[in-house]
Amino acid sequence: MSAFPANLVRAALDNPSAAMAGTDLRITLPLTRALLNEILAARPANTPVRELLIDPNSRNRFRLYLKAQAPVVGVISRQILIAPGMPVTFPDQPWLRFNIEEGLGFLDRSLISVLQGQIESKLPQGIELTSKYLRIHVPALLNHLGYQQLVPLIHYLEVRSDANLLTLDLHLKAE
Amino acid sequence: MHPVLKHLLATDFADLAGSRVEGTFAVSDEMVNLGLHELMAQLKAPASPLKAAPAPYDSSVADPEPAPDPRALLGKLDVEKLNYRTEMGRTVLEIACGIKH
Repeated sequence: MSAFPANLVRAALDNPSAAMAGTDLRITLPLTRALLNEILAARPANTPVRELLIDPNSRNRFRLYLKAQAPVVGVISRQILIAPGMPVTFPDQPWLRFNIEEGLGFLDRSLISVLQGQIESKLPQGIELTSKYLRIHVPALLNHLGYQQLVPLIHYLEVRSDANLLTLDLHLKAE
Repeated sequence: MHPVLKHLLATDFADLAGSRVEGTFAVSDEMVNLGLHELMAQLKAPASPLKAAPAPYDSSVADPEPAPDPRALLGKLDVEKLNYRTEMGRTVLEIACGIKH
């Protein structure tokens, strides 16, 4: 017997606001460095990214170690320091933003600027990458993934970095 | 099994220690009734036949991995509050729990 009846899950996802009206949940999810790297290791294989590791630190910053196949220049390796931005609050602030503080040189930034159009065409809808930040328009990304019905439920979403931990704070509310 | 779930089970959910859920989880009567019908359909379904030996030409079929035992996670839960009640048109669960360090 299936533990998660498919029809029930489908019905809940079809109209979560009605299926779970009255729900008001605050969720704190601390994810260790080991778990985050397991998640990153399980990424799709058919991307230019050869290696991707994350190292959260205690100053609300995390470092990404990236090795990737880049156009023109071949394989590149970078250590990028990233600071999470403001929390997502709906409907006023839909962007989950990560500022790139260190790790990209002048040539990297120039290359990203030159290839901006190509980069945008390869990223999923709702994700923007510039030489200064990566930001995710959460409703657009959920829409792209086919979960647009979940958008009204997300009232607050924050990513924080501590030593060896990224913590997600999420407030779900169905009215 | 997804490699991340496999990692969580192998490490006894230690990498999620400190996780916490607090608040109200409400489910509409329609969902409860749908769940009851789904449960009845599953109980009335004929039992799965015993697994036959694979055909000699079908060497790609692997044994499906068993579903993880929910007790592996439930044993790590620290439940502070779990109250059930009903309201007009919905079932409500008030909950406060976390995963132990």
